[in-house]
Parts: sequence; C-alpha cells; structure tokens
Amino acid sequence: MILLDSVTKKYPGDAKPALEEVSLHIEPNEFVFLVGKSGAGKSTLMKMITKEEIPDSGKIIIGGIDLDYVKKRHIPSYRRRLGVVFQDFKLLPRRTVYENVAFALEIAGMSGKEIRKTVPKVLELVDLLDQQKKFPDQLSGGQQQRVSIARSIARQPKILIADEPTANLDKLTTEEIIALLKKINDFGTTILVTTHNEGIVNNLQKRVVTMKDGRIVDDQKDNGIYKLDEKPQAKVMTGRAIQTPGHALRPRKRVIQ
Amino acid sequence: MKKDDSLDINDKSLKKAAKRGLKTMRKTKAHHPVRNKSRIIKYGTSGFARNIWLSTAATIVMMITLIISFVTVVASVILTNTADMMRDKIDITIYFKPNTGEKELQELTDIISEDSNIKSVVVSTSEEEYNKFLEENAESDDIINVLDEEMRTLMVSKMQATMRIKVYNIDNLDSVKSIVDTDEMFVAYVDESMPPTYDVNQIEIATITSWARIARTGGLILAGVFLVISVLIIFSTIRMAIFSRREEIYMMKLVGADKHFIRGPFLVEAEICGVIAGVLASTVSYFGFMWLAPKLTGYGVDINVIVDILESNKLILVYLVFVGVGMIIGRVSAWLAISKYLHKST
Repeated sequence: MILLDSVTKKYPGDAKPALEEVSLHIEPNEFVFLVGKSGAGKSTLMKMITKEEIPDSGKIIIGGIDLDYVKKRHIPSYRRRLGVVFQDFKLLPRRTVYENVAFALEIAGMSGKEIRKTVPKVLELVDLLDQQKKFPDQLSGGQQQRVSIARSIARQPKILIADEPTANLDKLTTEEIIALLKKINDFGTTILVTTHNEGIVNNLQKRVVTMKDGRIVDDQKDNGIYKLDEKPQAKVMTGRAIQTPGHALRPRKRVIQ
Repeated sequence: MKKDDSLDINDKSLKKAAKRGLKTMRKTKAHHPVRNKSRIIKYGTSGFARNIWLSTAATIVMMITLIISFVTVVASVILTNTADMMRDKIDITIYFKPNTGEKELQELTDIISEDSNIKSVVVSTSEEEYNKFLEENAESDDIINVLDEEMRTLMVSKMQATMRIKVYNIDNLDSVKSIVDTDEMFVAYVDESMPPTYDVNQIEIATITSWARIARTGGLILAGVFLVISVLIIFSTIRMAIFSRREEIYMMKLVGADKHFIRGPFLVEAEICGVIAGVLASTVSYFGFMWLAPKLTGYGVDINVIVDILESNKLILVYLVFVGVGMIIGRVSAWLAISKYLHKST
C-alpha cells in the first residue's frame, strides 16, 4: 500500500540529507507508527507521501501509484486518494464543521445529494454531529482534530496518514483520537501515524518504525521478531534508557519511560 | 533498517500495477462544470460575507479609485470642451474707415473668404453698428440725446463698419494677416487708427490652445496614471486580503483541491467587491456631478456633453461601465494575487 525504496532527500544548504536511503513497505490495512525525535526525517517522509516534496533519488509507490509519474497537474487528483491529518488540524477557519467535511467531497466532484448523505454519517462516526454548525475556533483542540479526521476519511481513502495528530492534545483527548484512528483502521484503512508520544505507541501494540538522522533504524512489525540490539532507539526518542526485561518475549509492546 | 525481502521494486508486475494505478488516477475527474461553478459562487458569496471587514475595505478602496477615475475622465472632457468652446468664441475684428459702403464690404468679404483657413466672415455696416449701439444702450438715459435725425446722421457717419472673422486654425493666422496687410482693398479701407489686434489675441489664443492641449493629453495621461494607481491600490488590498488567508489556500491544496476550485471563490469575492464598488461609485459620482453642475455652469464651464449622457438613457451604460471596470480590476487583481500562492510547490 505504501512503498518507499531507497528514498533520499537533501535540502539545499543542509549538511546532512533529511532522508537517506529510506526503504519502507506498509501492507494494506496495517497501522504503523513512525517515531523519532525532531529532525529525524518523519515529516519529510510524510511530505514525500503527499508529494509536497520530491525525492532526489529512490522510488515511492503509494496505493499502486508510482509518484515519479504523477505530474504537477495530477497532484490534486492524487491527494484526493489519500486521507491526511495534520498536527495543527488545518481546518478552513471560515467554514463550519459541516462545510469543512463537505469540502473534501466537493473537491472530488460529489453531488450535493451524496454529500448531504455522507457528511452526517462521518460526523456521527467522529461524534461531532451536534457540532456541525460551529466554526473551528468554537471547538476544542480534540474536537478540531476529530473534524480533521472526519474530513480525511470522508472520501473513504485506502490510506490515511497523520502527522503528529496528538501533539497539541491532552492525554485523554489523545486516547480518544487514537481510538478513533484504530476504529478507522478496523474498517480496512491503512494508517501511518507519526508521533512523539510513547504512551500511545506502547498502548496500541502496533508496528513501530523508528527514524534517526534521516534513516529508518528500527522496524518492529506485528509479527516480526523484536531485536534486542535495536532497542536503544527508544533512548534516542525519549532521552532515557529503555526497560529491557521481557522485550524479546513481547515484541509488539514497546515500553518507553 | 529492516526491508521487506518479499518485495522487489523492479518487479514487472509491481511496475504494471503502478502504471495501472496512475492511469486510473488520471482518469478520475473531479471536474463537474455546473456543480463546481455553483459551489464556487456559493463559497465566494459566503466568503465575502464572512470576511466582511476585508471585503468592506477592498470595496471602499475600489469605490474611491473608481470615483477618482470618473472625476479625472469627466474633468478631461469638460476642460477639452470648455477650451474648444472658448476657441470657437475667438474672432478677429477688422475695423474699417467710416462710410465704407456695403458694396466695398462685400468685395472685402469675397477677398478674405478665398483664404482656406477662414471659417466664417460676418460684416456689419456703419448703419448696423449704429443700431447695435442703440440696442446695447436702450436702457441708458443718454440715449435720448442721439435720437434726433441730425445726431443720428452724425453718429452713423462716425460709426465704423466691422468684419468679424472666425478661422479653422487659430494657431496659424499668417495668411489672414498677410491679406489684411497687403491686399489693396484692405489697405485702402482698414482703419489705420484701429488695426486688428493679432498680437493681443495671439496671447489669449495661445493660452486657450495650451489649455486645450493640456486638457486633452494631460487629462488622458492623468486618467491613465490614476487608473494604474487604482489598480495597484486595489491589487495591494486584495493581495493583503489573500495574504491573510494563504494558510487556507495551502490547506485546500493539501486536501487535493484543484487550482480552479481554490481560485474561484477568491475571484468571485473580488468580483462582488467590484460590482458593489461600481454601483456605489457610479451613484455617488452621478449625484455629486448633478449637484455640482449648476455651479460649474455658473463659472462658464461647458458640461453639456456629460449632462447629456447622464440625463439620457445612456446613464445605464455609465453604470455598466463602472460595474464592469470594477469587476475586471477585482478579478485581475485577485487572479494575480492568488497565483503567487497557488504556484508554490506544495
């Protein structure tokens, strides 16, 4: 579903590349966390997927589409196939909750009838049906993020990527958002989430890909074998030592203190 | 890093699938002309209402600049017309010796009329000049003194016959001057004590001519300059309005909105500003001009052309021009301003 092969990207003026020989394969219906400290290359990788940035070398295939061949004029059409959730929600401030979600469908050329049918369903899923007439600035951070998620899933994309979706939220709201993302994943959507939050990584027990200095240094798959010698990545992330006991036996649970 | 060994990026079936996916994507068309247009208008209208402060600012700036452009154009037309009217009033008067008869005057008229620069020649005999004098002084008490026959004969004998000449080209009087100075008939009959005052007139003529020239070329240049300034001011205002919403544009791009779908509502908003500004500017200009018209006429300014337009059914045309210009300026400004953000590589 998401395939990156030896992707390298270096910004002009930077000494080190933002991404270096990054290869990643995410299967359909997977839920993947992309973790790493600031500057590790997570956001650049996300931008590669949304085609905000173009790699210097390497290949990216998303949902069966080779991004090398997606020309500038086809970028909107490509993006409409993705669901994207942002750290700062990126809602249209002068449009209501309903209009923000409807916007995603309108740009896809959906009819008014279909939109009127779909938007309430999506808003119900994110538990915001009663807030549909409000503007973003009248909502809490968690509610705004739920609107953002509702907008991203309204077109029922096969892939949803979320860049630090819980960074601006408190613990309780974070749990709600992650639970929502998991629900969406259960419906069959492939999800890639970047985060700093070790709590959600530990609790959900999903695949965790760790980045450092533009490289993927750890990839713990659901059914993969946890390699003990790769554990110091957690230290990189949190600045603290990882708890080692039991890790080899419980590869899917990552305990970070 | 752990790479999935089962996947080969160079695998032919994968390449084929990627090509297929691309083909399907390209075929997916979100463009639905009628649906999109109605949505663009809807969002443009609601955007205008929801950004009411910026919309109002843009509308006011546009209205003021439209009024300035109107004033410049009208001033140019009025100045040109007034200058033309004044030029038309200018004539050269030649005074003949008393007792120059009608026959001689006719001959003199024939001679001067041969010049191609002559527009019209009006002659007035001593008798006519006397009657004119009586008319002009009808209300005067002194007129009683000149009413007896003896006095009348004396007056007529002293009155000078005149010739008033109007020319096509006021700037070139050499040929007229040459005839008056050299033709035998003219030399014989022109009153030497009152020679035609070309020089004095020439200064006045030159002044009026230069005014007319300034009115024509200067007015046009001024109108052009004001129009450019107007467009720049409106452009800056709309650009500021769009600058404050650049994040919105960025968001729309990220969620996959096509350029025309992002640009459309902004253009509609600017056009609404243009229409409102056009209607307001034309209304203010109309009533303002009508209020000033009597005062201008009092100063001897020729405003007939403008009054004729404003009082006829051409008034609707004036409104349409205002609205049209407003819409075009708004649309062009918004288009240019938004292009900057649309073409950024996001």
